[in-house]
Amino acid sequence: MTPASVDPALRALAADLLFREADALDNQDWANWLAMYREDARYWVPAWIDEHRTTADPDTELSLIYHTTRRGLEERVGRIQSRKSITATPLPRTLHLIAGLTIAEADTEAMRVRSNAAVHVYDARTAAHHVAALRYEHSFRCAPGGGWLIAAKTIVLVNDRMPSVVDFYAL
Amino acid sequence: MTPKNADALIDDRPQDKVFGVDRSVFTDEAVFQDELRLIFEGTWVFVGLETQLPRPHSFFTTHIGRQPVLVMRDGEDKIGAFLNTCRHRGLILCPFRRGDQKFHTCRYHGWTYDSSGRNALVTDRQVGQYTPRFAQLDHDLVRVPRLAGYRGLLFASLNPDVPDLEEHLDEARTFIDLVLDQSPVGQVEFVPGDVTYTFQGNWKLQFENGLDFYHFQSTHSAYLDIVAKRFAEGTAGALSAEPEQEAPVQGSFNFRHGHAVNWSIKNTDNASGRKPLRLEVDAVRARVGATRAKWMLRQRNLTIFPNLQIIDVQSMQLRTWRPLAVGVTEITSHCLGIVGESAEARRLRIRNYEDFFNPTGLASSDDNLMFEYCQDGYAAEAGPTQGYERGLASRPDGAADYAAELGISPVESAVGELFFGGEMNFLPGYREWRRLLSRGRNR
Ligand code: FES
Ligand SMILES: [Fe+2]
Repeated sequence: MTPASVDPALRALAADLLFREADALDNQDWANWLAMYREDARYWVPAWIDEHRTTADPDTELSLIYHTTRRGLEERVGRIQSRKSITATPLPRTLHLIAGLTIAEADTEAMRVRSNAAVHVYDARTAAHHVAALRYEHSFRCAPGGGWLIAAKTIVLVNDRMPSVVDFYAL
Repeated sequence: MTPKNADALIDDRPQDKVFGVDRSVFTDEAVFQDELRLIFEGTWVFVGLETQLPRPHSFFTTHIGRQPVLVMRDGEDKIGAFLNTCRHRGLILCPFRRGDQKFHTCRYHGWTYDSSGRNALVTDRQVGQYTPRFAQLDHDLVRVPRLAGYRGLLFASLNPDVPDLEEHLDEARTFIDLVLDQSPVGQVEFVPGDVTYTFQGNWKLQFENGLDFYHFQSTHSAYLDIVAKRFAEGTAGALSAEPEQEAPVQGSFNFRHGHAVNWSIKNTDNASGRKPLRLEVDAVRARVGATRAKWMLRQRNLTIFPNLQIIDVQSMQLRTWRPLAVGVTEITSHCLGIVGESAEARRLRIRNYEDFFNPTGLASSDDNLMFEYCQDGYAAEAGPTQGYERGLASRPDGAADYAAELGISPVESAVGELFFGGEMNFLPGYREWRRLLSRGRNR
């Protein structure tokens, strides 16, 4: 793979994928959000180990979220949709802002994209407003039938003293 | 304290089987200030684990009540706790969460302290034109009056007038032992990775919830659905569950000084059946005997008043908290690892922890929001809640037979069917709360 940060077509493609994912989350369009992930997708939110390092080995260190297949995400969506979890009744409103897109690696089959995100989370009951400051790294792969799917997503939560609940829609 | 004193806030009449808590204990600013001074800064509180200080000169920082604290292991392997503030002009001396440092130099004017808290340098002292009185002043870090460990769990008290730690812990020690003795070397450690979160509610909501067996089925029904589905689909992972031989029941023990534990005996295959201890239970049983191994496999939620809970289920959580305001609490949550467990057990422990206990997980997040809804509900002046009534009709020593297995004699115990969920185990905490607040007021 070669660094391809200056290829404008690739940048446009990557941006489109990131914005589509954010749009699905903000519109609570869970089916289309899940459909952007491969079945064997890894979804990882490491914890912080000290002021400057995040955990690196999920088998010996703690993560905030660590799923090695899409199944973990499907369970989270199912929990929200069941309306049995108080965290989802009602669900907060969210708004994802994404910037600073960098294509770290790319070839015709795969690309790795880094970006920064600010997710505004607003609780309509209490009017509490929280902003999650995030660093994303997406690994996309060509899907068999065309298009691109997320093979891995790592999310670093910069402001890690969390409000009482943090879930996939607010990341 | 205004408007009511502590005695009036807790309605405790054991002979009449009446117990009630005034709602204002969750919302009253004056009560909260008294709690900080007389409870969090007035008795033993949990500060950390000795395993957080692996080497000479290791340190970590924390808080006791409102006050910043630096805990260090010195060059002679002695552990000390100090107020994390420079003697010169008060700066926070150590700004880091943890690390290894022989000397801590204040960044303002350079005064330096060693890992035993001694002042090693007053910068440019000779040219400072100090009075002779200055030489008489103690320039060392201010030591927290009491620091003691129970088998590697460190507790400290800003108030020197407290009983010895072992006496304070009472027979809750037996339940700390049931955690530590799972390890071949008798130690636990924090799995690396910090998890800190806040909720917009009073700290006692977490205190109560850790003892609240009753909420589980309703609060966590979405989580229970997920677990049931995993079992139905065979994706829960295979662990040879060892079915309990005894009838399913749920019970609790109350100890002196505010501590309590609730526990259950379940004989169905469920999430807590996937306990990492099962992978090594034969070795553990050979070491501790069948009775204690049986208790190690059972769900146990232990509360050490006022700021420590250890939950031993499909993973193990150590949770501690710091009240930030009457309606804001900071929780620090750790995955507790057994020193000496296998890599496979550790990995399973971590996965189960993330699944359940993280604020980004599938269960504790539900609890945290429940606290916020409770706090908001307490604004209603609707009289005492009915949240301390379950189990009031039970015999005061109802679970004595279970206690006898462990060789303990709790001050109260209760047992019932699996969905009993008695609230009697909240009582010792509130009794200690009232004792500490009344004691402070009368001084
Ligand atoms: S405040 Fe620490 S050296 Fe002056
Ligand atoms: Fe809970």
